[in-house]
Amino acid sequence: MFALHTSLQAQNQPLQKGDLAPEISLLSPDGRPVRLSDMKGKLVLVDFWATWCAPCVGEQAELGKMYTDFHAAVKADKFEILGVSLDKDKEKWVNGLRKYNITWPQTSDLQFWKSPVAKSYRIEELPFNVVVDANGRIAAINLHGEPLYSFIAGQIGSVSITQSNPTRRSAKP
Amino acid sequence: MPKTILLAWIAIAMLSFGAKAQQQEPWNSNQLVRPSDLAAKIQKGQADNLLIVNIGPDAVIKGSVDIGPGQDAENIAKLKAHLKSVPKYKEVILYCGCCPFSKCPNIRPTFKTLAEMGFVNRKLLDIPKNIKVDWLDKGYPVNE
Repeated sequence: MFALHTSLQAQNQPLQKGDLAPEISLLSPDGRPVRLSDMKGKLVLVDFWATWCAPCVGEQAELGKMYTDFHAAVKADKFEILGVSLDKDKEKWVNGLRKYNITWPQTSDLQFWKSPVAKSYRIEELPFNVVVDANGRIAAINLHGEPLYSFIAGQIGSVSITQSNPTRRSAKP
Repeated sequence: MPKTILLAWIAIAMLSFGAKAQQQEPWNSNQLVRPSDLAAKIQKGQADNLLIVNIGPDAVIKGSVDIGPGQDAENIAKLKAHLKSVPKYKEVILYCGCCPFSKCPNIRPTFKTLAEMGFVNRKLLDIPKNIKVDWLDKGYPVNE
């Protein structure tokens, strides 16, 4: 009884750094399977968002810049961004990907807040993200803006930062 | 005496600032409906005289009409079309729930639309965080 209670309690606890990232196995907009476990070996920024979430949409340009800046790391299979949408309407989701010029892998079960993935990541509000390390463990939770950029840069190494962002690179010690 | 005057001046300034801050929103505190109160009305079958309208991501509330995000001009047109034949004295409760009021792009244009259309009994569901935390997680009635 105690063990069950403890187990249920643990299920309701927010994820912590060092936890194994729950599997995400959903479909891409064109129906192909997308699995977080297939990205093992890379640093993965899992971005939970939705077209109905204004702050999430506002963040997509920053993620786009990051994807460009760290393109070398993406090419070298060191880094990836995985967008997980909590949209309900596929048309809005797909239109949003086009409108906000989102080019990194995307997936969704189109179940809004009923999404089992949202539950497994214990998401209470959007935007929400986790950085998953090469071993599939959570390395950071809900970093945004410059702290997120710096964290990713630090994890994949400055060698991956391209010429497109010399100001940011030179600002680093 | 100067201290009294100073305190009075500060009090007036604070009251004026508070009133100004409230004026910045198109609704007042009397037009906000608590989720628990709306849920209780729905559960008791006392919501027939209400028109509950989703102007956010999803029409999760039981009996609500789905208009869609109020920041889109096409949804404002949809809202106007839907309300065209609704009596102006009808209690209309808008809700979004995408995020806190401070970040929500949907509630202001739609609430203003209700005012412009002359709906005297216009209300807004007071959702502090989002529809998940403040409605779904509480087990309040939902559209199946």
